[in-house]
Amino acid sequence: MLALDLFVNGLIIGLFYALMAVGLTMVFGILKVVNFAHGEFYMVGAYTYTLVSLKLGIPPWVALPLAALAGAGIGWLTERLLMRPLYAGYSSWGLMKDEYAVVVTFGLSLLLINLFDKVIGPYPMRGPSLSSVTRMSVGPFMMSGQKIITAIIAVILLIALALFIKRSLWGRWVQAVAQNRFGASIAGIDTARASSIIFMASGVLAAIAGALLAPVINAAPDVGIFPAVKSYVIVVIGGMGSVPGSILAALLLGVLESFGAVYLSYDYRDTYGLVLLILILLFRPQGLFGERTREV
Amino acid sequence: MNIPAARHPNLYASKLSAELRLSLVLLLGLAALPLFITSPYWLGVLIVSMYFAMLSTGWNLLAGYTGQFSLAPAAFAMLGGYTTGLLAFHWNIPLWLGLPLSFIIPGLIGLVLGRIVLRLSGAYLALTTLSFAEIARLIVYNSIDFTRGDQGLNVPALLDSRVGYYYLFLVALAASLALTWAVLRHPAGRFLQAIRDDELGAAARGIRVVHYKTLAFFVSCAICGFAGGLYGTFARLVSPELGLIAQTGIVIAMVVIGGMGTLVGPLIGALLVYIVSEWLRDVGGIQMIVFAALVIIFARFFREGLWGLARRSRLLRPRTDNGSS
Repeated sequence: MLALDLFVNGLIIGLFYALMAVGLTMVFGILKVVNFAHGEFYMVGAYTYTLVSLKLGIPPWVALPLAALAGAGIGWLTERLLMRPLYAGYSSWGLMKDEYAVVVTFGLSLLLINLFDKVIGPYPMRGPSLSSVTRMSVGPFMMSGQKIITAIIAVILLIALALFIKRSLWGRWVQAVAQNRFGASIAGIDTARASSIIFMASGVLAAIAGALLAPVINAAPDVGIFPAVKSYVIVVIGGMGSVPGSILAALLLGVLESFGAVYLSYDYRDTYGLVLLILILLFRPQGLFGERTREV
Repeated sequence: MNIPAARHPNLYASKLSAELRLSLVLLLGLAALPLFITSPYWLGVLIVSMYFAMLSTGWNLLAGYTGQFSLAPAAFAMLGGYTTGLLAFHWNIPLWLGLPLSFIIPGLIGLVLGRIVLRLSGAYLALTTLSFAEIARLIVYNSIDFTRGDQGLNVPALLDSRVGYYYLFLVALAASLALTWAVLRHPAGRFLQAIRDDELGAAARGIRVVHYKTLAFFVSCAICGFAGGLYGTFARLVSPELGLIAQTGIVIAMVVIGGMGTLVGPLIGALLVYIVSEWLRDVGGIQMIVFAALVIIFARFFREGLWGLARRSRLLRPRTDNGSS
């Protein structure tokens, strides 16, 4: 019974990880760089949700879409101001591309953390719950209402995202640009807009993750570091750029940590994923579900 | 009428010796500073800025010259600090032995890490070294019986006077710069840059890529570790906070602002960033906001850093006189 309980809890944590990781992996898919400020998108979402509902008295169900909007805004700005030089007119950069992306997103992460620390203050703030039910039974399990709502919203968002990527016109642009940016631009696709869309989507997902978790993990300037590190692990395990891979890897990591915390050691629970990451990079660098990239 | 080839300012050897000269001037300036500054507070600030200058110098060898964008320099400083600290705490090993070990042991760990990440590049390398840094920090943080966790570990002091520490750090900084310069002056320096610019091409030219990459990891991590060891005895305390990602962020900020891939850039960056940040702290605690913004601006618009800007403005005139570059 304990095992089943741990499994379900792990899956729910995994769903939350997936919200973070999917955005990161899509950004990698389309720009081939890692966004080290991804955790700060989460932080912006957590703060928007908490501040809007606490200070302005707006009900949490309205604050949640506002947080998503803030996430979209910060994602759009990041792409527009900092990522665009990666592919617009700086083609001669070639070699320095990865370094530029790491430095700039790392700088953005530091900037946002310290800006929020200065403007809002370093004290953690607890966000309001979406549900007042603290314990309810779902079949054989006992869970809090917030946890169930988080899981449901995460599943809905992930399905919506999959449909968007697979079915919509913009989603198909994004797929094309991820496969071959140059080819897509020849086919008349606005690659810059595709990048904007992906950054906004990744901002939305991260911000909603932050808002949903705000009642559990209090909003603080550095709250994003922890989920961001988790999502780096997940995108590598799942294969960089692969959306289904990162969802599977997120669920896997959630379950692994949930079991490891009980059966191995609680204190070291955050290291399991990192060790797994290094092992995967050593023996299967393309990730569990990723394809080997072919270069000519 | 041409400038003799060997003395052309754009030649690697001329660049390196110009950078060395400026480094020496800066070090001499630092050596003279205690004559004018006697406040223990500002001496402390200068000591910490020299600690960061060592980290930046070490990291720059790896990231700026070899193109291995590691995100673990702060973790290696933490490992160095804990090497001396744990040896002294558990086995009473004196500092004259512990400090050299804080150079060697992190260097060896870096060598192993370098071997692990040998086939990785770009984003994968950054993520793996970041995970390594986090694992190292979490292990130190959680092994409370051995490392005393986040309470920190007391380290015995090496010297009594702050001026003594000042000169100790100055000598160590000069030694790190000399070591980096020696590597760069040696053919190895050019091999490292060849690996940075085109790894496959370098291998095709017969450069032992594995060998030189591991060498760069060893030297860089050893310098960072030694800096951490010295910092531990100066602060008389090491804690897992030394290895925070934010500390790595500060090191990156210093190198990017000073000038990546130059000998003197990290030195300028570290001294300037840390000393100005102390001043900005008084203004209202906005130092990190300013530097994060500066990093973005420098990475976006002035990719050669301050030293690159200074060099370019100096070189502008002879170029236009000759009519060619």
